[in-house]
Amino acid sequence: MIMGKTGLTWKIASTHLWSKKRQTFLSVLGVTFGIAVYVFQSGLITGLQSFFIEKTINSTANVHIYSDVLSKKPSIVERKFANASTMVFLSQHSSRTDDPKLKNGFQILKSIETHPEVSGASPYFSSQVIFKKSNIQVAGYLAGVDIDKEDKLFDITSTLTVGQVSGLKSVSNGVILGNTIAENLGAELNDRITVISPLGVVLEMKVIGISKSGLTKIDATRGFCDIRNAQKLMRKDGNYITDINIKLKNIDRAEQLALDFQDQYGYKAEDWKVANASTLSIFKVQNMVTYMVIVSILVVSGFGIFNILMMMIYEKMSDIAILKSIGLRSRDILSIFLAEAMVIGLIGGVVGLIAGYFLSRLVGSIPIKIEGIVSVDHLMISYSPSIYISAFVFALVSTAAAGYFPARKASKIDPVIIIRSK
Amino acid sequence: MEPLIELQNITKKFTEPVEFRALDNISLTINKGEFVCITGPSGSGKSTLLYILSTLDSIYEGEYSCAGTRMNGLTQNQLADFRNENIGFVFQFHYLLPEFTVLENVMIPAIRRNVETKDNIRKNALEILDLLGVADQAEKSANKLSGGQQQRVAIARALINKPKIIMGDEPTGNLDSVNSKNVLQILKNLRTTIGQTVIIVTHDEHFALASDRQIKIKDGKIEQS
Repeated sequence: MIMGKTGLTWKIASTHLWSKKRQTFLSVLGVTFGIAVYVFQSGLITGLQSFFIEKTINSTANVHIYSDVLSKKPSIVERKFANASTMVFLSQHSSRTDDPKLKNGFQILKSIETHPEVSGASPYFSSQVIFKKSNIQVAGYLAGVDIDKEDKLFDITSTLTVGQVSGLKSVSNGVILGNTIAENLGAELNDRITVISPLGVVLEMKVIGISKSGLTKIDATRGFCDIRNAQKLMRKDGNYITDINIKLKNIDRAEQLALDFQDQYGYKAEDWKVANASTLSIFKVQNMVTYMVIVSILVVSGFGIFNILMMMIYEKMSDIAILKSIGLRSRDILSIFLAEAMVIGLIGGVVGLIAGYFLSRLVGSIPIKIEGIVSVDHLMISYSPSIYISAFVFALVSTAAAGYFPARKASKIDPVIIIRSK
Repeated sequence: MEPLIELQNITKKFTEPVEFRALDNISLTINKGEFVCITGPSGSGKSTLLYILSTLDSIYEGEYSCAGTRMNGLTQNQLADFRNENIGFVFQFHYLLPEFTVLENVMIPAIRRNVETKDNIRKNALEILDLLGVADQAEKSANKLSGGQQQRVAIARALINKPKIIMGDEPTGNLDSVNSKNVLQILKNLRTTIGQTVIIVTHDEHFALASDRQIKIKDGKIEQS
């Protein structure tokens, strides 16, 4: 039974919807479908991206210091004539400092380690190598690290399928192989392999661990060894390092601290956002595509709501005229039809959230073997509340928008014209 | 005699398809408690006059005041409130809300007015339905009733807020002669029992003859009043 003025609005709205069960059901279904896809798609994309971020971005340093050998400095001749109206032709000019060595690398490292905002820093020097076992050869690189520091930064321990990271220190010539390299070589724990550097240095090494990061490319090319072995392979002295990786206490300070370090030490310092700019931009495109799909689905379901309300209004012209003649204001009529749209949005939204959740659960439980940029055995789906909240808000906003125009049309109906035309 | 409605120099123009004056400089006074019939041939402007009187049409030239309130200056919302409080409507096509019960239909204007409690509104609605002899239909869906019954319910709805004026646009136009007589009798009784002012647009000769006063309209002008 009717109660109060708002009650009247709801009563009329629900009676309208109830009298058109089929269309109402289809409109609700449209919103349900849109929201379910929204929840599922966002969950899938967000899940995949956060997995990827965890794997790549967390395995890159917050700040990375290295000698930027690739940037060309202008030659002395070019500098001399920079402002003059003289044409300078130079051929066979090489202006690069070819040596990527960080001079005083270990002193810089020590100094950085004492910085109050730094939680850890690790020296790095890598060498291109050929891994060889009997007749099988695999090309890759050996990352020469101080494994205790490296493990503290990037949690190498958690990626090991067999073995222990401490082996790199305790076993001379120990090596940790990426799991794909190990598979290709047919190498197992404690096997001996040969490593050959571009300079022709050959080292016999013992596999003391196999790592699986989940990133296909890394697992197929990277091995870890003690930094001294990398230096030996490249015939460098014990002070020779090319990179310092730094983890910060607060990741958001990376940009500023990178600039500080660059000024202080005279080497290029890159923060993680710059280092992963290409990945982050792929995410942006990916998100855009996803949201375009979702928006187009909601636009379609919005048109469904628009349609059913328009039909309702044409059918209920006389009702609207009579309601106005007995003193309902235009705003009251607007509320009635807007309420109808909101009911469709509300029910469709809630059911859509539930359907999307179960769809995510279902798809997330299917074992799928993916070997792409990342390798996983099932889809990573995010159930972040922010997805569900934004989906619900989106359902309400889009249905309100779709309902507003028909509702306004209804509120503008002139009862005289309706009554006269009968 | 206390004047309830005063029209001064009301002109209503239509511009489509060509400009013409549906009402041409009409001045008119209707007193409290009068039973007035507006008659005239089709297209004479009698319905147009009623829509202006009912405040549904607010676009015209001239001065209109009703129950001491000047209508010209009011906003659409104020007009809606005024209608809700002061004017009860009965149309040719009964215009009940088909999905609602008879009782609900009668209660809607009072709920819109939002002055009385729900229980009081229901009690009043049942009393009025009883007065009009359709109390036994109260819980039925409105579209299950016969034409004559529906028109009585429409009159009950028009009465629920105890309006100063009841207006009817061909209220018997869609009824057979027996039901027409009934409706006429009901409206006349209202006048005698509660001193209700009634203004009816009609073709119906019987109806016109039974009224206190006939206003004949022709070509947008008052021919006789």
